[in-house]
Amino acid sequence: MTAAPTAVPLLEARALSFLRQDEPVFAPLDFQLHAGELALVEGDNGSGKTTLLRILAGLLHVGEGELNWRGAPLQRDTCAGEILFLGHQLGLKADLSPCENLHIAAGLFGCRDGVNVISVLAEIGLGGYEDEPVRRLSAGQKKRAALARLLLLPATLWLLDEPYANLDRIGIALVNQLLETHTAAGGAALVTSHGAVSFHGGEPRHIRMHA
Amino acid sequence: MSHPRLLNACAAMLRRDLTLAWRRRGDIAMPVLYALIVTMLFPFALGPEDTLLQRIAGGVVLVTVLLAMLLALDAMFSSDIEDGSLEQLVLAPQPLALMLGMKILAHWLTTALPLIVIAPLLAAMLHLPGAVIPVLLLALLLATPLLSLLGAVLVALTAGTRRSGMLLALMLLPLCVPAVIFAAGAVAAAQQGLPWLAPIAWLGAALVLAVVLAPLACAAALRIALDA
Repeated sequence: MTAAPTAVPLLEARALSFLRQDEPVFAPLDFQLHAGELALVEGDNGSGKTTLLRILAGLLHVGEGELNWRGAPLQRDTCAGEILFLGHQLGLKADLSPCENLHIAAGLFGCRDGVNVISVLAEIGLGGYEDEPVRRLSAGQKKRAALARLLLLPATLWLLDEPYANLDRIGIALVNQLLETHTAAGGAALVTSHGAVSFHGGEPRHIRMHA
Repeated sequence: MSHPRLLNACAAMLRRDLTLAWRRRGDIAMPVLYALIVTMLFPFALGPEDTLLQRIAGGVVLVTVLLAMLLALDAMFSSDIEDGSLEQLVLAPQPLALMLGMKILAHWLTTALPLIVIAPLLAAMLHLPGAVIPVLLLALLLATPLLSLLGAVLVALTAGTRRSGMLLALMLLPLCVPAVIFAAGAVAAAQQGLPWLAPIAWLGAALVLAVVLAPLACAAALRIALDA
């Protein structure tokens, strides 16, 4: 971790919980995430990992407690575009090619400097599949096409729900590499995973979830 | 870092939905075929008398076109919800209402426009006088986007509920009635040589109101649908 933690955390949760039909989905959570940090969200099936990520992305409303983004309550308008969410549903149109899918994402979210759709697809290991409809790609290739958004779009906080699912060993190493580069550049990431994460940029912070 | 420009985002959305529709060209053809078949059956059922067909022609064409539009309506957001595209759209740093407006525009271009193009043919099959056809087209040009917009709000409201097709039809019926009355009124007035501008103006006013409000309502409804 090269970026020194600043006084104001990027993301801060205080006694955060979410209610579904008046039942809390997970026990109240407290955590801070600074720029340059990686947090691993751990928990059993059904412990609310995906729910937590959807709250942080701004898709679900905060049930109880506080959620702060750069010191102020998280609001969709202020952090839109700074948070990149990658869920179980990959957000790819099956009838379009990876190239077309990424062009849409870049149109909506903007694009980093010095990268373009083709270079990003080559880097993520989908060179030669740019114009193939996503429908015809394998599950792992679809995942890679979705992960290519991480390289293409400018975002400070990555929320990755099971980014390792369906990936082969090279793909898993690639995700770890992406996380390392991102945190080294001052970004932050929250990752849920069942698999082992071999993160070289330092010990990731652990967020343990209880139902 | 290049910031996402609003115009680029709108263009990307529109291009996306039009490309998707083009990849599934068969789905565009279905409402057109439906309208053709229904209109063709009327002379067979009622007999080929000019006077009777002429009297009902305007109404039949309008109702057929509006019903044909409903065929494609409930698919407007369902695929985007299933594959997670809608989540990405909601999270994008763009005004959601505007992006949904683009989706509705794409829907109108791919479903209603082909129907409007064949409307003169449908009208001719029912012996509608040639002089009335421009009024019919004008009425359709105002009534179909109105239906797309109102329909989109209802689709957004029923998004996430299973088998929402029936519910959608029930909710949409009372909302289409004014559009049908005004559009058919304009055509009937033109047929009798009466001034037809007033009902058209009402349709136009309703359309302007819907263009402003419907995308906002859609955006709110879809945010609620995802927040569950």
